[in-house]
Amino acid sequence: METVTSDVVKEPPGSAEAASAGSAPRVYKPEMPLGWWLRQRHYFLYIVREFTALPLALWLLWLLFEIQRASTGPKGYYPPESAAFVVFSVIVLGFALYHSYTFLSLAGVIINIKLLDKPIPSRVIVLSQFAAWFVASVVIAAVLIGFAR
Amino acid sequence: MAEKRITIRTTRFDPDKDKAPRLQSYDIPFADESMVVLDALNHIKAHVDGSLSYRWSCRMGICGSCGMMVNGIPKLTCNAFLRDYWPRSITVEPLSNFPIVRDLVIDMEDFMHKLKSIKPWIIRKQEYPLGAGEHRQTMDQIDEFRQFSECINCMLCYAACPVYGLNNEFLGPAATALARRYNLDSRDQGIKERLPVIADAEGVWECSFVGECSVVCPKGVDPAKAIQQTKLDTTMRFVLPYGNRDE
Amino acid sequence: MDFESYDVLVVGGGLAGIRAAIAAVDANPRLSIAMVSKVYPMRSHTVSAEGGAAAVLRPEDSYETHAFDTIKGSDYLADQDVVEAFVREAPIEIIQMEHWGCPWSRDSDGKISARPFGGMTTWRTAFAADKTGFHMLHTVFQTSLQFDQIHRHDEAFATKLLIEDSRCVGVVAIDMRTGRFEAITAKSVILATGGLGRVYAFSTNGNICTGDGMALAYRAGVGLKDMEMVQFHPTGLPYTGILITEAVRGEGGYLLNKDGERFLKRYVPNKMELGPRDIISRAMTTEFEEGRGFDGPHGKYMHLDVRHLGEEVIDRKLPFMRELGREFVGIDIVKDPIPVRPVQHYMMGGVDADISGATPIVGLYAAGECANVGLNGGNRLGSNSLSECLVFGAAAGRAAAEHASATRAVGANPVDALLADETRRIEASFLDKKGGDERIGTIREEMQHDMDAGAGVFRTREGLEKLTRQLGSLRDRFEKIKIEDSSRTFNTELTAALELDFMLEVAETIAYSALAREESRGAHARRDFPDRDDAKWLKHTLAFRDDGPAPRLEYGDVRITNFKPQARTY
Repeated sequence: METVTSDVVKEPPGSAEAASAGSAPRVYKPEMPLGWWLRQRHYFLYIVREFTALPLALWLLWLLFEIQRASTGPKGYYPPESAAFVVFSVIVLGFALYHSYTFLSLAGVIINIKLLDKPIPSRVIVLSQFAAWFVASVVIAAVLIGFAR
Repeated sequence: MAEKRITIRTTRFDPDKDKAPRLQSYDIPFADESMVVLDALNHIKAHVDGSLSYRWSCRMGICGSCGMMVNGIPKLTCNAFLRDYWPRSITVEPLSNFPIVRDLVIDMEDFMHKLKSIKPWIIRKQEYPLGAGEHRQTMDQIDEFRQFSECINCMLCYAACPVYGLNNEFLGPAATALARRYNLDSRDQGIKERLPVIADAEGVWECSFVGECSVVCPKGVDPAKAIQQTKLDTTMRFVLPYGNRDE
Repeated sequence: MDFESYDVLVVGGGLAGIRAAIAAVDANPRLSIAMVSKVYPMRSHTVSAEGGAAAVLRPEDSYETHAFDTIKGSDYLADQDVVEAFVREAPIEIIQMEHWGCPWSRDSDGKISARPFGGMTTWRTAFAADKTGFHMLHTVFQTSLQFDQIHRHDEAFATKLLIEDSRCVGVVAIDMRTGRFEAITAKSVILATGGLGRVYAFSTNGNICTGDGMALAYRAGVGLKDMEMVQFHPTGLPYTGILITEAVRGEGGYLLNKDGERFLKRYVPNKMELGPRDIISRAMTTEFEEGRGFDGPHGKYMHLDVRHLGEEVIDRKLPFMRELGREFVGIDIVKDPIPVRPVQHYMMGGVDADISGATPIVGLYAAGECANVGLNGGNRLGSNSLSECLVFGAAAGRAAAEHASATRAVGANPVDALLADETRRIEASFLDKKGGDERIGTIREEMQHDMDAGAGVFRTREGLEKLTRQLGSLRDRFEKIKIEDSSRTFNTELTAALELDFMLEVAETIAYSALAREESRGAHARRDFPDRDDAKWLKHTLAFRDDGPAPRLEYGDVRITNFKPQARTY
């Protein structure tokens, strides 16, 4: 036999829209619960990505400040050496890499190039983006190290 | 052998009586390995509780009526198999991010307006006369827009999109994909008429790339791709000197 | 009471209905058009059509062969003037769909491609992969959005035709969102409500195919024509009844019995897998009875094998079939044969209408599967129905617009009274009904199983007589149904009851029409009368509602122009 049980589970957030003028249909408008971003891996990664913008911006502001100080010559410039700042920088580097990774992976989805009338597979585009990124990083690193000497 | 059973919990809401939705449990026979969540709902409606309301029709994943949240994930209930959940219970709720009309029935009028707003029809500067026969179109040209034309308007992508959940003004995944479908069609010349809607602040620029819309799409449409491509496209038209050319 | 008034009202939002609405706008842009549909138009069952739409588009083809194939396929029960007009209009409509954006599959020269189909002697079925109905419906629906003259009433359930002075002036409909009864009036009304597959248990049809328009017209006094002609498609998936398109055989798939034999060589040796649906369904049923079918948990079945076509052809031409196999059966059709068995698919019979869709009631038109304009006779050829929806949808739209342009507006007085009567009827019999102990679901399931058993691929006098008794008793029990849902908001128990009411009515016309036709023709195969009998039965059945339980049957002539009836062998 079928059994039917009715249980009022926690009142979800939302509001019943009262009928305004007579026959307007009444609907229940659910609201997103505060913890909605914990429900799905994609939501979580998305929120993390959105929030990483804040520390990244702080770090970049600091960098601008440093550059401004450096413009007064070597005397006015001294690099921050506290362990906390190094840790902060490493974390922010991780965030920056995450953003770059998202952006470059997206490129494969978005960019639509044809070679001999055949669309280039997005995997190839993504790989070439990452390769270009790697090469650019090596070149910049080489230039910086070269100048430092 | 004891009869196999499964517990289905579904949202119940009748605006005539209820202030807020509640969940009701039904313990029903899991009589056939081929049963899907929709079969379970049909069993409940036919044999246990005739007042349970939901939409369905084709039960072959093409009409787009039977989208619901199954254990928190937007799915077409006609191909969500009970065997993939059993012996756990299954919670069936109306699609997220939409107003609830009744039980599992959502209000999708908002999408119907958005669909019309993107002008989902072939727009030509000059009507091609019927007597001239068909436009020539190669299979490669069809491949340009094919996947975006496969949207069944099932609303799973809207239910998966937190941006839409937070801001109902957002044009959203399916409508953008369909706009892209027409913009990419070699027969169409209407992109300039669609741009004011799709390139609007509430259009593609509202999307911050969660990507879940493409994950839940039952038809392999990639709305996230349509949105990001549209961003690139509209930017190019804006910045490049020849970008705003007529096509 | 107030009510909404239009020039043309279309009931149904599938391919025929939307095509009719656009045709009415084209015919006279000043007209206001209403479209009443119990589902959002893109949910209509056209969406499930797969294989394609037939039209003469290639130089090697001709109108004559398309007409002959259709007439021979109909077992000579088609009205030949209608067929001849149809084959000339179909190509224009296919081109029109192309201009509206339908993504037809193309040949290498960029022209609309074609594939072979059952009963067609040449390649004339235009297709959009194997989702033709889906693409056509979405194309025509999205195209219709540009016309502000078309006012949609989505999710409104029509319960009754408004008849005033033997003229149709609109419908009463329930707005499902609010539960409100509304009279929607118009100078012309077009029924385009689709089929009735849900009177059977095993059907390819969606939940919404409940014969509503046929029952509405029948109750208003219009005859239902050739209701004994029910098409069984050879290839449905066991358990779900999901359609596996005839295009699978068109592209070269084999039907195999459990001995691995292409058994059709004993039935349609010249056509094999490309024989017409009625004959192949009978062949499969015969093979099952003689023990050459596979036994499965959901009944006997055959194998439909496309493995030899290769992955590339399958992915290009039959991608949806691969998806259905993977999603619903757990097989990959590239590597595994598909289990299939005959399944109710289409209704050749329907509302008696002429070549322009006009019914005997002034102002009432019908098009698409719910109509019988005389195109399909005893058996419809695959891929003629999508074209039929376009050709006769457009014809009905034009005729309805012309009628509306030349007709005065509808008066309020009788409409108010009719609306009040209908509201009272439904409230008394359903919404405010107390007591009752019969479940809607139980009566519906019994009706469906009785129909499968009594009015299936093969029929007998005993079986049909038993069926009429069963339907009569179900009709009595229906009076005692229990309605648990008293809500006015989206009450799908009420609509299920109204649909069951419609289905019981049209099921009876099937049973009685089939019992009376003592011959075998097209899809109507009587074991006790195995031969076609042109002398006695080359005529249309017309079932009219009568006071008693049985309909009153009358017969009409079949119009024959150029093709004299001959033996139908393939």
